[in-house]
Amino acid sequence: MMRAGAGQPPGSGMRRFAENLRAAPRRIAESVIRTGWPTTDRARSSFVFGNLFFHLHSVRVHRWTLRWATTWGLGVAAAGGFFLTLVTGILLMFYYKPYPGVAYDSIKDIHFVVPTGQFIRNIHRWSAQLMVVAVFLHMARVFYTAAYRPPREFNWVVGMFLLVTTLGLSFTGYLLPWDQLAYWAITIGANIAQSPREVTDALGITDVFDLGGLQKLLLLGSEEIGEEALIRFYLLHVMILPLVLVALLGVHFWRVRKDGGLARPADADARLGRLAPRTYPVFTETPAKTYQLAAIVRGRTPAVGRGPEHTLPALPHLFYAEAGVFLLATLICLALSMVWDAPLKELANPALPENPAKAPWYFLGLQELVSFSAFMGGIGIPTVVVLGLLLIPYLDRETEGTGEWFGGPGGPKLVLLSAVVGLAAVLGVEAFAIHFGWIREWWPETPQLLITFVNPGTVLTAIYALYSVALVRRYDSTRAGALGLFTCFLCGYVVLTVIGVHFRGPNWEFYWSPAHWPVH
Amino acid sequence: MDVRWNKLLLLGASLATLALLVAAAVEENFAREWRVLQRRYRQRLPAEKARDFSVQLRQIFVPSLRATDRCTSCHVGMSPGEEPIEGDPVFGKHPRVAHEPAEYGCAVCHGGQGRATRKADAHGLVPHWPRPMLPRRYVYAGCGSCHTHLAVPNLDMLARGRALFERYDCLACHALDGRGGTFRPGSVAAASGPDLSGAGAAGFDPQWYEKHLAKSQAPDAGPWRVSFGPIPAEDRRTIEEFLSSRVGAPGLVESKALFHSLGCRGCHKIGGVGGDDGPDLTLEGEKDPARLDFSNVPGERTLPNWLAEHFRAPAAVVPGSQMPQLGLSEEQIDALVFYLLSLRRSDFPEAYWPKDRIRAQRFGEREFATDGATLYGTFCAACHGPRGEGMRYPGLPAFPAIGNPDFLGIASDRFVAATVEHGRPGRRMPAWGEKEGGLRPAEIRAVVAYARSFAGGAPGPVDRQPWRWVRGDVKAGAELYASTCALCHGPRGEGAEGPALANPVLLANATDAYLVETIRRGRRGTSMPGFGSPSPAHRVLSDQEIESIVAFIRTWEGKR
Amino acid sequence: MTTRSSATNARSRLEPGPLPRRDFLGLAAIWSAAATLAFALLGIARLPRAAVVPVPSRKFRVVLPESLPPGEPYAPPGRAVALFRDAGGVYAVSRVCTHLGCIVNAQPDGFHCPCHGSRFALDGSVVKGPAPRALPWVAVSRAGEGTYLVDEGKTVPRGTKVAV
Repeated sequence: MMRAGAGQPPGSGMRRFAENLRAAPRRIAESVIRTGWPTTDRARSSFVFGNLFFHLHSVRVHRWTLRWATTWGLGVAAAGGFFLTLVTGILLMFYYKPYPGVAYDSIKDIHFVVPTGQFIRNIHRWSAQLMVVAVFLHMARVFYTAAYRPPREFNWVVGMFLLVTTLGLSFTGYLLPWDQLAYWAITIGANIAQSPREVTDALGITDVFDLGGLQKLLLLGSEEIGEEALIRFYLLHVMILPLVLVALLGVHFWRVRKDGGLARPADADARLGRLAPRTYPVFTETPAKTYQLAAIVRGRTPAVGRGPEHTLPALPHLFYAEAGVFLLATLICLALSMVWDAPLKELANPALPENPAKAPWYFLGLQELVSFSAFMGGIGIPTVVVLGLLLIPYLDRETEGTGEWFGGPGGPKLVLLSAVVGLAAVLGVEAFAIHFGWIREWWPETPQLLITFVNPGTVLTAIYALYSVALVRRYDSTRAGALGLFTCFLCGYVVLTVIGVHFRGPNWEFYWSPAHWPVH
Repeated sequence: MDVRWNKLLLLGASLATLALLVAAAVEENFAREWRVLQRRYRQRLPAEKARDFSVQLRQIFVPSLRATDRCTSCHVGMSPGEEPIEGDPVFGKHPRVAHEPAEYGCAVCHGGQGRATRKADAHGLVPHWPRPMLPRRYVYAGCGSCHTHLAVPNLDMLARGRALFERYDCLACHALDGRGGTFRPGSVAAASGPDLSGAGAAGFDPQWYEKHLAKSQAPDAGPWRVSFGPIPAEDRRTIEEFLSSRVGAPGLVESKALFHSLGCRGCHKIGGVGGDDGPDLTLEGEKDPARLDFSNVPGERTLPNWLAEHFRAPAAVVPGSQMPQLGLSEEQIDALVFYLLSLRRSDFPEAYWPKDRIRAQRFGEREFATDGATLYGTFCAACHGPRGEGMRYPGLPAFPAIGNPDFLGIASDRFVAATVEHGRPGRRMPAWGEKEGGLRPAEIRAVVAYARSFAGGAPGPVDRQPWRWVRGDVKAGAELYASTCALCHGPRGEGAEGPALANPVLLANATDAYLVETIRRGRRGTSMPGFGSPSPAHRVLSDQEIESIVAFIRTWEGKR
Repeated sequence: MTTRSSATNARSRLEPGPLPRRDFLGLAAIWSAAATLAFALLGIARLPRAAVVPVPSRKFRVVLPESLPPGEPYAPPGRAVALFRDAGGVYAVSRVCTHLGCIVNAQPDGFHCPCHGSRFALDGSVVKGPAPRALPWVAVSRAGEGTYLVDEGKTVPRGTKVAV
């Protein structure tokens, strides 16, 4: 071919090449964005449709979804927090070295010589905290708007796994700086993993069935927290858990779309009223095309059978909202990072315990429970709570109040009452335990098994459970019981966390203020 | 929901975020403390040098010492290859020291946080950094990180050596610890002699005296003739010993000598040698100020301040402390603080060990002189008194006066050495054998020999054979003991105002002759009277009665 | 829902024309977000470039063997230099190949690079192969009787020798 072209005058071949070269930028752009610049509604729809990331959204969203009060942007904030931790985490990995002692030095280097290193680490820390908070609030939002109901039951389950993965990410990240804070917090965590021994010891079967020991061994790779534990936590933190989280997040987003967008009340259309005149109008002709694919798929397809009258194009309406919330989350993390540095204490010293040694704040509620019984506080009660949360959508099969804040029998009044009951119960039990002590102080010979099963934590759980059973009977509604129980547990969690953060000092004694702590 | 609000949200949030990012970028690239300082440094350089100077982080990296010290990012003048600016507190040059900073790093001697690039962090004056920088006046305490030995003679020797050094006018030619070194005004101007501040570390010519003398007696001696004359051999030895202690750490050697003359190690172990009534002091200089209780310590929250206050009133600073108030002068307290700060031995690869540490750790050389006087000062003086006169501290039972001639006159060397080696279990006298207190047999012999000097240096008696010869009446002895001895020594010999007699180590090592003679002669200067001589306070005991008492005392043996 | 219907526009509602109004607020929001993102990316790109690189001192002491023939190389174990002693004094030549950084073998006839076959003469000049430059000489100084201090990190002009 080359020889054939060489003899010819510079004609069509070279000219075509030159034209193609000139057109290349345009064609590259076209090949990336097939629809052209999204200036019309149709182009925008195609744009969303033809883009992997945008297509996690549906092309059009219901106006109910765009109300701020529907979600308060909590899911997007949580995802935004994750995105920020991901980016900053990757950046930190350029300099972090996972080996005891060396790890601490590398964090010091990140603080002192890596360009913007401390800022990046602060953002990593604050966005992780934001993520935890947003995930909790997002869960509460979904619960209180009863958005877990069919067809969204499974997405609620996925969400629970996301919650656990988020906490796992946070927990594993805690060890990596290898300072005193990290070392002693993880010591507590590892011993919680070991706490089933409390039961197996009491039953005298630890020699044959040592679940606690196995869990701790799997977590630490050794008896003590050392290089094996650090590399395991590192692997979990930067590899396994992020992959799990990304996969689950993908499913979570996709299910939101497949389950027909966000939950909304049956009379949402009527309550929204007419569109504001400035908003771009919706279709007026009967749409046909979109539904052809849906028609051949067996089973229920949520979007079919409803007109799109109250929907708006996702681009730009939803994207403004999502980008706005994401940047707001970023702004919050950045502002916090500029004011408060991520903590870094002394180099980890296994011979010199921190007193008090506290876990990350969101685990301090658990640590309070753990101070009564390691097994019940660390494993028993959390397992019961997570299982209960997982089962909610399968137990509550009612329809009243879906998509409504505090929807269901009783509504806001019930939630308020439950909050009062929940607060009263947790404060009462805590005040009693702090003031009078517990069984072992009265009868030192009490067998451990009794304390494992009867302690302030289990008593509190039992009070909440009984209260919720009473609600189910009183309102003749599972939802009412769930509302009560969830509210109670939320109050309990918050109060226990506050006690753990603020009111517990050296030797986990109660103090009204850290200013009263004795010098250790 | 109107889309306008979402647009406003996006606009506002992204503009604010951008503002924060810009602020962070400015802080990072322009406002960093070390950048500001380096720009100021560059301005003070001559133009052609300023061109070559780039504002950048600098560090001294010595992996084998685990040193990554960025101190030179601000103290640019100490950075290898940069010019110091004379007299500037930040950009000045490092004083001449034995170790090149570029090869050893900074924090290894000075403490502080070498990795840090902000002043407060780098100087270690922040929470969560347990090793703040040593204050300037104690800076030579940093030597203790590696040097454990530092050739320390006792305080007397040091003082005599310094006095001789000055009396023979060595300072006329030689500088020492920043003093002297030029001929006095009016003298003939000539080159001065070498600085001897580091003579102990670098070593000096053993023939120095002969060479000096030869030069001063040569026909062309010039100024030498007037400035050097003969020195008696004993003075020469003292001067040489003094010079050996000049290792380039002024003050540290003196403070260590003071520590070793006050008997602190009678209660405190350092590096495995010492008593164990008080806390081990091996790493005292590494104490984290954040973990000290400052509630009874006025002034700044630093380790030196805490230590000083602790010396003034030990029990007030550490409630429940058994340490007596030693009545030290402020100068002594300052010196002791200095020495304690130097107790910070770190682990370094052996390639970096100085000779003194190798000698101490590999060949068992001591970090204190092992003559009897120094050993006594180091381990015994705090309780038994600098001259064996015994000690009485408020709140503590009296410590025995082992220099008492009555005691030394009847106690054999074997008995005293055995007492030192095994101690008095249950009492405050610790066992000093190699496994417990860490003293070697030869060292114990040296201490015993030194203790003899308190009674004029007379040799002790030799134990008569057999040790046990008393055949007294135990029953009569018991009655005599109850009426005569029990008031001071306790009804069962457990000790009260007087020492415990039912002590297994005492009973195992004391010969019958020692016990009989002690009862017969008593101890002058103590409450123990001599029962063999007439006195208005008690009746005279016959030899037989005394032997009965001894026989009774012997019945306690093996009961405990 | 027929507000602002297609009365002015002949085309179907499914194929609407461009949005009529210039959306200043939306554009400002989008561009400020894009600017923020771009600035953040700049910062991110800045981070991986280390501000300070740990370079340990590469000085070491070496004792030349008594039996070393004049002009023959002596390669101290574990070090990337070769030392020579001849009538002019003692000098050291780096053994790091100037091609791609392999350590060249010192032999009596010159330096042989095991990686890509470069050859150097004993004074470091290139004889053969892809190496672009001669092997540099590095600083040597006397540090006592028969002992020399070599600084691998400091090059000196060729021909710099220190008296024995």
